Amino acid sequence: MPASLPNSAVDRAANALRLPTGILLAVLAGAWLAAVARAPLDSVQGVIQKILYVHPPLAFAAYAGFALTAIGGALFLWRGDEAWDRLARASAEVGVLFCTLVIVTGPIWAKGTWGRWWSWDLRLTITLLLWFVYLAYLLLRSFTEGSERAARFAAVYGIAGLAVIPLNYFALDMAAGRSMHPENLQQGSLGAGMGWPFALGAGVCLVAFTQLLARRIEIEALRGALAERVAGAPTGLERSS
Amino acid sequence: MNTLLAILWKDLVSEWRSRDRIVAMALFSFLVVVVLHFALPGADPAEVRRVAPGLLWVAYLFAALLGLNRAFALELENDALSALAMAPADRGFVFLGKAAANFVLLAVVQFATAVVFGLAFALDLVPVAGPLAGVVALGSLGICSVGTLFSAVAVRTRYREVMLPLLILPLLVPVLLGAVSATASLLQGERVPFASIQLLVVTDAVFLIVSFLGFEYVLDE
Amino acid sequence: MTSGATALHGAPVVSAAGLAKRFGPITALAGVDFEVGAGAVVAVLGPNGAGKTTLLRILAGLARPSAGAVRYAGGADRRSARRFVGYIGHATFLYPQLTARENLHFTAQLYGVEDADARIAKLLAELGLEAVADRAAASFSRGLAQRLAIARALVHDPRLVLLDEPFTGLDPVSADRLAARIEALRGAARAVVLVTHDLARAAALADRAIVLVGGSVAFASSGAPRSAGELEHAYRSALDAA
Repeated sequence: MPASLPNSAVDRAANALRLPTGILLAVLAGAWLAAVARAPLDSVQGVIQKILYVHPPLAFAAYAGFALTAIGGALFLWRGDEAWDRLARASAEVGVLFCTLVIVTGPIWAKGTWGRWWSWDLRLTITLLLWFVYLAYLLLRSFTEGSERAARFAAVYGIAGLAVIPLNYFALDMAAGRSMHPENLQQGSLGAGMGWPFALGAGVCLVAFTQLLARRIEIEALRGALAERVAGAPTGLERSS
Repeated sequence: MNTLLAILWKDLVSEWRSRDRIVAMALFSFLVVVVLHFALPGADPAEVRRVAPGLLWVAYLFAALLGLNRAFALELENDALSALAMAPADRGFVFLGKAAANFVLLAVVQFATAVVFGLAFALDLVPVAGPLAGVVALGSLGICSVGTLFSAVAVRTRYREVMLPLLILPLLVPVLLGAVSATASLLQGERVPFASIQLLVVTDAVFLIVSFLGFEYVLDE
Repeated sequence: MTSGATALHGAPVVSAAGLAKRFGPITALAGVDFEVGAGAVVAVLGPNGAGKTTLLRILAGLARPSAGAVRYAGGADRRSARRFVGYIGHATFLYPQLTARENLHFTAQLYGVEDADARIAKLLAELGLEAVADRAAASFSRGLAQRLAIARALVHDPRLVLLDEPFTGLDPVSADRLAARIEALRGAARAVVLVTHDLARAAALADRAIVLVGGSVAFASSGAPRSAGELEHAYRSALDAA
């Protein structure tokens, strides 16, 4: 007897989002690349500055990813529905990718502008710590025997990891003096001709994240259904002698 | 509540009779102090005074990780962990009992380490002993809460000894920063900044709540 | 030998319907219905890997079923039911550094047993552990440790006693003592679930027997097995059919 594909709200959403986000991604990415190519070069920072079109949105996706991981885990613990665990796991795997990109693009930009590869400023450090938490989460999942136990352990760790983000913020803020990180989060400070590439970059990141997340959830659901089907029919009495 | 005291008593009595954990922790942290001394060859006293708080807490962290790793090994031996999972009491109290036992053991080791540390780095800790004990207690509370929670997790994974530090070191950054800042002020003869204490207290509270509630799910099969 | 009609004696202490347990792709239990009443002994037989231990662990509240529900007497949920379940598994659950008496005392505190000292003294006497009561559990032989494990499971006078292969490795005298204990539990209107490979003991003690194969119930007797031979025949038939 074939196992049916999971049909929870999470899985239905993942399925529904596939095509629209795929199209949107293709369109936005094209528009974004065009906008970035045409954007004026920053007088001081040169071409390196274009990383800024992608670095903050990547960071936003990384943090949103972990929030989803923790919330998915919490809902899994509360409800027991495996779909929430699929969301948590997929979000962690996609999120760690974005987090890695943040940590890679940050120093590239820093080296180009300040001449140093690394600085322990607040935002970079807190993202680094998030990265470690992400990795520990994924390692915990792969090193725990038993998928249900791994899901439970990971859910608890995800919640702890989320709780520590604001704590880290206050701790690092207290410990450090001034931050080297540029404070320019407003559109206006980006300069003429830089608004569109930035907005499009943000859009691309968000849509890419959602698309990857939805696909990953689907893969996990399919994997689970396949494993159940391979394991065979439930009742032993129906097996032929 | 009974559960908490029963587990606390059991852990302390077991430890008293075998003394293996506490000796290992103490010896290890003494060695760390010695290694740290060698790591700073020829440093002048003012420099040492500046970095001493951080070094002390590094030693404390290592000792704590060692002790926490062993915390649930005792329970695994005859699958006593399953017996605890079957106990009718709220599992949060099982957690508190375990965490309290870890806290006591760590405190003893920390005291001994402080003495050795003072000797090794020519620091007179006696005048600030009281406030220092308070700061160390606050720090240990944070370490022992998430440490106990995730020790129960790590002990049932592969590479259990490595898993625990991987899990909790990123979480312990607020505790570390608050504790080091407070300790540094004490060693400089200044008042402990309110911000450090506030950070420690809030972190401890958050960690205790998360661990108390999370333990329920961690003890399941 | 009690007949099938009275095998269920008192009201069900625990009943489970449609129990399933999956560990990833592996199905340990696939739709098992189970029930045991007060004053009844149910034997659960089956080859290794059939799901017997999984079933017991779910009844003990140690594991959550993937599907199906477990209901305890008095409407207790999984957590409150822990109070009246006693479980003896493959491991002893003992703390090696503590003495026998201390091990029992610790368990008594966990379960909030009233008048613990008297109860512990009684258990130590009944299981012949008085001589070693104040020796550390680490020094116990297998037989002694098994007896202490049984005492530990009974400290809180559980209404449901789950035994997972308790006769394995016991010498004949200890095994007889254990069998007598199970009879005593039945007499005291306790519900006993006994997983064992020892068909002779199962036939002698059980009011009902079920055979698990591949996670499902392959055979369920309507009453008490009349002899070890009959039980063995039923067991082998169930294995062949599956």
